[in-house]
Amino acid sequence: MENTVIDTHNISKTYDPTGIPVPAIRNVHMHIAKGEFVALVGPSGSGKTTLLNMIGGLDHPDSGNIIVNGTDITSMQSADLVKFRLHNIGFVFQAFNLIPVLTAKENAEFIMLLQKEKKAKREERIDVLFKQVGLIDKKNIRPAQLSGGQQQRVAVVRALASKPQFVLADEPTANLDSAAAFNLLDMMAKLNKEENMTFIFSTHDQRVIERARRVITLVDGQIVSDTTDHTPLK
Amino acid sequence: MIIRLAWRNIWRNKMRSMVIIASVTAGLFAGMAIMALYKGMMKSRIRTVIDTETGHVQLHAKGFMGDLDPKLFIQGDEKMIAFLSGDKSIKAIAQRTITAGMVSTPNGSSGVSIIGISPVEETNVSGLGKKMREGKMDWPPKTRGILMGKKLAKKLKIAVGEKVVITMTDTADNLISSAYRMQGIYQSANAPLDEVNVYISRKDLQDMLGLSNQVHEIAIVLQDDTLLNHTVQQLAHQYPSLAVESWKEISPETSLMAETVDTLSYIILVIILIALSFGIMNTMMMSILERRHEIGMMMALGMGRSPLLILIMTETFFLTLTGIPIALAIGTTVIEHYAKKGMDLSGMGKEMMESFGFETMIYPDFPSDKIGFIILLVFATALVSSIVPILKSLRLDPVSALQK
Repeated sequence: MENTVIDTHNISKTYDPTGIPVPAIRNVHMHIAKGEFVALVGPSGSGKTTLLNMIGGLDHPDSGNIIVNGTDITSMQSADLVKFRLHNIGFVFQAFNLIPVLTAKENAEFIMLLQKEKKAKREERIDVLFKQVGLIDKKNIRPAQLSGGQQQRVAVVRALASKPQFVLADEPTANLDSAAAFNLLDMMAKLNKEENMTFIFSTHDQRVIERARRVITLVDGQIVSDTTDHTPLK
Repeated sequence: MIIRLAWRNIWRNKMRSMVIIASVTAGLFAGMAIMALYKGMMKSRIRTVIDTETGHVQLHAKGFMGDLDPKLFIQGDEKMIAFLSGDKSIKAIAQRTITAGMVSTPNGSSGVSIIGISPVEETNVSGLGKKMREGKMDWPPKTRGILMGKKLAKKLKIAVGEKVVITMTDTADNLISSAYRMQGIYQSANAPLDEVNVYISRKDLQDMLGLSNQVHEIAIVLQDDTLLNHTVQQLAHQYPSLAVESWKEISPETSLMAETVDTLSYIILVIILIALSFGIMNTMMMSILERRHEIGMMMALGMGRSPLLILIMTETFFLTLTGIPIALAIGTTVIEHYAKKGMDLSGMGKEMMESFGFETMIYPDFPSDKIGFIILLVFATALVSSIVPILKSLRLDPVSALQK
């Protein structure tokens, strides 16, 4: 496909922590196009996080290839993968993972700073995103003074600030109450639409699944279903 | 950003960081205080050597200092004295006639250096008059008086007014003895010298040795310590037949001791810093273990090895170097206070210090000439302390670090 962002070819991964091999991912083929809003669903231990880690270049498959934007990341060296992640992938974690000693704005511009972006460009981009997520008046306060939902929105801004190829979000609503979770999902859907940003979530949260345009279901490391909702976004 | 993040990171656990900064401050202060004390002691010792023992420069006939042969006296010394007295860089001179001999009393005898002096000259050069503890220094022309150090007088169990016999070999190699009366007991800061140097009238000694007005030693005190090298070179050029030696050559043990003490103070500082480096390393390791999840997240987001290395190293440097200005401020204040007031160390072994030729009242001297090197050592400590935490953080696997 011309606008394919992520293409996995027959990837497998087996963990062997106790001497007993445990297959985490088995022969997964998957194509994700630019601008998709995808939920990876499945019960605990189904391989969602492992698949996200491999797509994100944090973990290597035992076999198969992962092509991101035309580049095979499975053959990359560790240092190249770090650079690749920095310039191509945005991450949102379950536990927010903001740096507590930095303000919301400093956290949000962290990746752009690592990319050595100029101050004016950083500030312009951060201000736009903070306005979009409704946190412009909170940008100079530290994470501890923000609610869980607000912290996760800052994490989303951080992931989007550098305009990555796609955003990987591992259980982004797991630590949020319903209101905050819906709020976050609305915001991500809005950013998906406005910025044509590709989002891939791992989740077993029904609220997220209902909002997703495409749902890929994993069971025991294998894709058992891949459905797309073609109705217009609400 | 990395500098800001590093600075804020060290204050996450204020108490822990304060403890390590206080340790660095205390260690540095201790190192500076030891250096200042040693420097003060050595300055005092060198001052004692110059002002009370050797003067700045001494002139002898070549070979005289080997076995104090009385036949090796300075030739043409009257012209020389006139020349030296006219030199504006010279503050005072003392002519001495010297020989090796023996002092005997009914209680025992001891080998000594018998030094013939002029009381006025000697007081100007070595301050002998100020060292008198019993009796008096000036002797009437017709009384054969002897001045003896307190330690020797105690050893020979002799008091002022009692008789002693001194024995020596004259310039014709005849063994001669003569009775003297104890006229005074002196005490200097150098107990070993007090045990071997006895003083009599220069005229008496010249008569006994069969000399006319010749002397064996001319001790010179200069107007300023900085004139030393120039004066030694000038006199050596002027009197090539004489041995012209500075105090460093006459008292090499003092010069060596100054260098040794300098090295020793550096060794002590290095030991203090090595001990501190373990504390700093431990603090950094704890900090990294506590932030394992966060560091894993930063690596996942795309933080490479270089920025991570710089972050951990900067944190270690902040933790270590923050103590420097505090230690300098405390060190300067305390050392300057005692530099004026002095530290009385007599309670820590007066006799032992005197046996090594040290005064017991020490005026510490701030080691300003060594500050640059001290700061360099602290930088090195920070660098060494950061190695293990850096390796630990660079080896983190982001996937396992992100798992709770």
